[in-house]
Amino acid sequence: MLRLILSRLLQALLALLLISTLTFSLLAAVGGDALTALRVDPLISEESIRRLSRVYNLDQPLHLRYARWVSGLLLRGDLGQSFFYQSSVWSVLKPRLSSTLLLASAALMMAVACSALLGAASARRPNSLIDRFCGLVILLTASTPRIVLALAALALIASMPAAADRAFQTTPGSFSWRGASGDVWQLCLAAFVLSVPLVAIFLGQTRDALKAALALDFVRVARAKGLSERAVLFRHALRAALNPLITTFGYSLGSLMSGSVVVETILNWPGLGQLSVTAVRNRDVPLLMGVVMLTSAAVLLGNLLADVLQHLSDPRLRRAADSARKSSPA
Amino acid sequence: MTHQHINTGWPQLLAVRLRSVRRDWTLTAGIAIISACYLVAIFADFIAPYPYASQSRREPFAPPARLGRCPPSEVAGFLPRLCLYKQTLIDPLARRYGEDARAAPQSLTLFPRGYSYKLLGLISVERHLFGVEAAASGEPARLYLLGADRLGRDRFSRLIVAARFSLLTGPMGTLLAGALGIIIGCVAGSAGGAADAALMRLADVLMALPTLVIVLAVRTAFPLELPPSRAVLLLVSIFALLGWAEMARLARSMVLVLGEREFVVAAKGLGLSRTRILFRHILPNAARPLIVQASLMFPAFLLAETALSFLGVGLQEPEPSWGNMLAEATDLAQLRRSTFTLLAPAAAILLVTLGAHLSAAALKRRGGQAVS
Repeated sequence: MLRLILSRLLQALLALLLISTLTFSLLAAVGGDALTALRVDPLISEESIRRLSRVYNLDQPLHLRYARWVSGLLLRGDLGQSFFYQSSVWSVLKPRLSSTLLLASAALMMAVACSALLGAASARRPNSLIDRFCGLVILLTASTPRIVLALAALALIASMPAAADRAFQTTPGSFSWRGASGDVWQLCLAAFVLSVPLVAIFLGQTRDALKAALALDFVRVARAKGLSERAVLFRHALRAALNPLITTFGYSLGSLMSGSVVVETILNWPGLGQLSVTAVRNRDVPLLMGVVMLTSAAVLLGNLLADVLQHLSDPRLRRAADSARKSSPA
Repeated sequence: MTHQHINTGWPQLLAVRLRSVRRDWTLTAGIAIISACYLVAIFADFIAPYPYASQSRREPFAPPARLGRCPPSEVAGFLPRLCLYKQTLIDPLARRYGEDARAAPQSLTLFPRGYSYKLLGLISVERHLFGVEAAASGEPARLYLLGADRLGRDRFSRLIVAARFSLLTGPMGTLLAGALGIIIGCVAGSAGGAADAALMRLADVLMALPTLVIVLAVRTAFPLELPPSRAVLLLVSIFALLGWAEMARLARSMVLVLGEREFVVAAKGLGLSRTRILFRHILPNAARPLIVQASLMFPAFLLAETALSFLGVGLQEPEPSWGNMLAEATDLAQLRRSTFTLLAPAAAILLVTLGAHLSAAALKRRGGQAVS
C-alpha cells in the first residue's frame, strides 16, 4: 500500500512538473505579459517599463525565469507575486481554494446521493417505470450543459429581486453558514448546477455496475441464504460494484474543476475558477500559473485518493497490484 | 453484445448500419436535430435577414418585433398577411420603446431582397428567406425577431450565423482528437510494454487535468484578436491535443480484447501483416464503440468552445458565436427584462447537445458498448 501511494505521488509530481513546464513556456513564449498594457500607454516612459521588468525579472531569458519560479516553489513554497492583486499569489489563492473545495464537495455529495438512490432503485427492478425514468434522467442530465443551466439559474435569481440583492455578496473567504442566508442559497444553487452533468455519469455507472453485479453467482447465494433484498443490494452487490464507481469519481474531478470555471463566473462564486478568468483577462502570469498548479494538484490528489480507495475496497487489487491494471481496460 | 466478424468492407458495413438506423426513433430524432442544425448553419446567410455585424445605433437593445395581422388596406393578396408594427426608442435613458404611431405597418414577405451573399460560397444571391421589403420612401423598419443587442445588431441573424462557428469547431476537434486517440491507442495496444505503459500514464494524466483551466491559460498566450479562421484552427488544435485520452484508452482496450479473438488469431496464423489485421479485422469490429465515443466528444468540444467564447477568449466580437452572445446575458437588469431572447443561444446549445446525446445513447444501446 505504501509503495503504491509513493509511486503514485511520484507520478503526480512528475505530471505537475510537466504541466508547469508546458504552461510556463507557452505563456512566456508567445508574448504578452503584465507590462504589455503599460507599453502602449504614452504616459509611461520607456525607462520605467525597463525598470519594472527588471524588478519583476521579466528581462531574463525564459529558462532562468522558470528555474527561479520552480526553485521558489520547491524551496520556499513561494508561488511568486501577483501583478494584478499586488500581493503574493498564495495569499490570493488560499481563501479561494477553500471556496472551490466547498463548492466541489457539495456538488459531489449531491450527485452521489442522487445517483446512489436512483441507481439502486432502478437496478432492483430492471425495465420498470423507475428504470425508464432513470434512463430519462441520464439523458437529460447528460445533455444539459453547465453553462446553460447556470444561466437559467441566473435568470431565476434575476426574476426575484430580493434574492438578486442578497446573492452576489459573497467575497473570497467571507462565506458563512449563518450570517446572510444568501450565502447558503448561492452555494446550493451553484452546487446543484455543477452536479447535474455528474449525475449523468454517476447514475449511469451505478446502474450498470449494480445490474452487472446482481447477475453474479454470489448474489444468488446471498438470496438463497434468505437475506433481505435490501441486504443483498447494499451489502453484497454494491460492494462488488464499487470499483468502477471509484474510478469514475477520480476521473470526474477534472471535469468538475473545468465546469467550475464557467459556473463560478456566472453565479459569482469567489473560487479558483473565477480567479482563473480574472488572471487570464489581466494577463497575470504568476497568478495563472498558481491557479493551474493548484487545480491540477487538487485533481491529481483526488485521483490518488481514488486509487487508494480502490485498493482498499477490492482485495484482488491489493494482491495483484500491477497485473490488475492490464486486465481491466476502459 | 456480440461482435461478430463481418467479412466485408466499409461500404457494406455502412449500408447495414443505415438500414438499422430507421427502426430507432431516438436515433432518428437525434440525427434529425443535428442535421437540421447543420442545414441552418449552411444556409445561415439565406435565413438571416441582416448581416451579422450591421448595426443600427438608433435602436440599442430594441425589443423583439411586434408582429400582427395587417390592417385591411395593406392586404394585396387573398391570404391574411403578417405585418411588422414598428417600435421606436421613446426614452433613451431608460431604453424604453413604444409603438410608432406615424409609421405604417409594413408587411412581411417571403424571399425579399436583402444584402448580397454567396450561397454555398459559390452563387451570389440577394434573396433571403423572409424579411421586410424595402419601402419605396424612407428607411424600412428593421425586423428584430429576438430583439437587438447594445449596438442595434439583429440577435436572430447573429444566432443563426453563430451556428456556423460552433458547429465547425465541434466536429473538427472531434475528428482530430479522435484520430489522434485511435492512432495512439492502436500503437499502445499493439506495441505493449514500456511504450504502452508510458502512453497510458500520459492519458491518465490528461484525463485527470482540469482541461478548461489549462486551455484558458494556453489561449491567453496567443493574441486575443485573431481572425476567425485562425481562431478556429487554434482552438481545435488545443482541444485535440488535450482531448485524445479517452479515445486512446478505448481504442487500446478494443485492440487488446479483439486481439485475442479467434478471427484475429486466425488472421495472424495466415500470416497477414500487422497493419492489415489492424485495419481490416480489428478496427471494423471496434467501429461501434469508437463511433459512440466520438459522438460523445462532439458536444464536449462544442461546449468547450462555447465556454471559451463566453469567457471572452474564444471568438471575438463582432464575429458571432453562441458563447460570446451569451456573455450579454450576465447583466442581471437585461436578463430580467428580456430573459428568453437573451437565452436563445443557450436553447440552441441545448438543442445540439440533446441531439448528440440522443444519437449517442441510441448507438450505445445498439451494441456500441465497449467489450470488457
